[in-house]
Amino acid sequence: MAGSVQSLEEEKAMWQQVEESLRGSMGRVFTKIATLLPGILAFVLVLIIFLVIAWLAAMIVRRVLIAVRFDEHTISGASTLTEWTPAYTPTILVTRIVFWSFVTVGVLVGVSAFEAASAESGLSAYVFAYLPRVIGAAVLLFFGTVIGRFLSRSVLISAVNMNLQYARLLAAGVRWLVFVLTAAMVLDHLAIGGEIVDLAFGILFGGIVLALALAVGLGSRDLVSRSLEREANRPVESQVEEKLHHF
Amino acid sequence: MPKSDLAQEANAEIQQAGEVDLLVGISGAVNAEALQQQASALLDGLRKSSGVSRIMIAYPESGKVEAANSDLVPYPLAASGPVNFPWVVSSIALKAICSLALDLNAKVCVALQADLLMLSAERVQMLTGPVLEKQCDLVLPVYPSRKFGGLLNHSILAPLVRALYGQRVRYPLAQDIGCSPGMFQKLSVPVRSREHGDGALMWPSVVAAISNYKTCQVNVDAHHSTQTEGLELSAVLANVAGAAFTEMETYAPYWQRVRGSHPTATSGNIDQQITGGEPVDAKPLIDSFILGSRNLQEVWGLVLPPATLLELRKLARSAPESFRMPDELWARIVYDFALAYRLRTINRGHLMGALTPLYLGWVASYVQEMAARSPLAAEQRFEQLARTYEEAKPYLVSRWRWPDRFNP
Repeated sequence: MAGSVQSLEEEKAMWQQVEESLRGSMGRVFTKIATLLPGILAFVLVLIIFLVIAWLAAMIVRRVLIAVRFDEHTISGASTLTEWTPAYTPTILVTRIVFWSFVTVGVLVGVSAFEAASAESGLSAYVFAYLPRVIGAAVLLFFGTVIGRFLSRSVLISAVNMNLQYARLLAAGVRWLVFVLTAAMVLDHLAIGGEIVDLAFGILFGGIVLALALAVGLGSRDLVSRSLEREANRPVESQVEEKLHHF
Repeated sequence: MPKSDLAQEANAEIQQAGEVDLLVGISGAVNAEALQQQASALLDGLRKSSGVSRIMIAYPESGKVEAANSDLVPYPLAASGPVNFPWVVSSIALKAICSLALDLNAKVCVALQADLLMLSAERVQMLTGPVLEKQCDLVLPVYPSRKFGGLLNHSILAPLVRALYGQRVRYPLAQDIGCSPGMFQKLSVPVRSREHGDGALMWPSVVAAISNYKTCQVNVDAHHSTQTEGLELSAVLANVAGAAFTEMETYAPYWQRVRGSHPTATSGNIDQQITGGEPVDAKPLIDSFILGSRNLQEVWGLVLPPATLLELRKLARSAPESFRMPDELWARIVYDFALAYRLRTINRGHLMGALTPLYLGWVASYVQEMAARSPLAAEQRFEQLARTYEEAKPYLVSRWRWPDRFNP
């Protein structure tokens, strides 16, 4: 009888402790949220304001550049960028740079506001230190995409003009090779993933190259043997070629 | 011999020469022995028959020709870039020859291809006669060609020059020409566009049209050898058609005002200039077109309007025996590519590469149509194609002036 009363009391004390620790941790969490909430609201508010400013600035810049015929002056001069990114006129590129610059500034201001409002120290210093990496990664991604698309199209058109039936496959292979290489460089630049990224890239890149080599090698066995036959019979073939003159 | 010594020697020889009546220029590296042999015969023949006394022959300075003959004078020939297309070398040489003619105060200047096929008194007189006697400013040759020869010229260059500049010339990019002092003064001036460098093509017929100079043609019996051996078709097409599109961009204010075309006075022995040819198998050409159609729809879609793409898809699905590309379709394709070239819709190298399967489709269609027909029918066919280019010109002008309204 006394033993069961004691165990009941111990059980009751245990549940009281559980209740107290739950109440305590919930209190701490809500206190933390209450501490952070003004900072989060400040961040969201600053971001919205800077999004509006970015949109207005981009609109003004676009109108000014169209009015001064910026595209015509730029295209008639150095045309390398438009040759490589013909879908993006210089005006569109400048407008987007202006827009995203304001958004980036807004994010930085928002982070500072969050830090100030929530009394969290060191956050903005960390973000500011990471910013150059993000910009570098964005530049790498942009150029990697442009180069990948350009090379892919070059390979496609050249392969079609060489009467290669697997032109599309070659072009896709080249594009993915460049994209994978770019993605690996971007992740490495952002210091994300570490050695896992290096290893995954090596396996993927090597796998793509191997797959392409097998596809081209196995798939073109007949083509190679036909080409060799044609080479052996060349004197007859060359007479047929001379019947048609393009120039 | 060092280059600076050559240039000084050339200048000294030019100053010694004084003024000449006729300057014959060889546009391209020349066989020294053959030049020496033919030069003496040419000079004697010309002095006897035409009465022209002061004649000079200009050749590219390379230190290989020993100028034993005082009537031979070297001229500096600039490099043509990494790929030596023969017509590019000729264009660079033509500019240098015309500059030399200006320095020598020549009454008439003749530029000849480096194979020296035209270097005879009779043939040179055919190019100088209209200049001296009929007040022509530019004399272009009409070479004999086969039914299946010079297709790039007959399908794109000649009809384009006719429709745009109103000049009915058979070979607008001929490398043997005769010109008057006014004409060689124009040809010695560097081309306007900033994009043109030493590798730019010279279009004498276009320059004559722009300057309102008189152009004549003369039938010559000279069979120049094929110049595109060892060169890829896509590279040739890109270079030649690309140069034509660049000229369009340069002279847009002029050709948009031109309406119709006028015949060009042609002299010489008018025997049949197009001879027969053995039938050509069109299947490889059709296969190339179909391969292009299957793989390049995305690229063609950036350049050609939906109606044209639909017609091309129908053509790709048609039976090989009934494979026929209508002239209207081909003319519109060339005009759309010219516009895309100007607007840089896609990279220019890619654009011209994407034109190759379409050109092969036209060739396949032509080859099948002309297989059993006579050379006269081929001449009429080319005339019909040229008229179609003229009729489709309003389409080009509208798209050129308002590209945004017709974006595919």
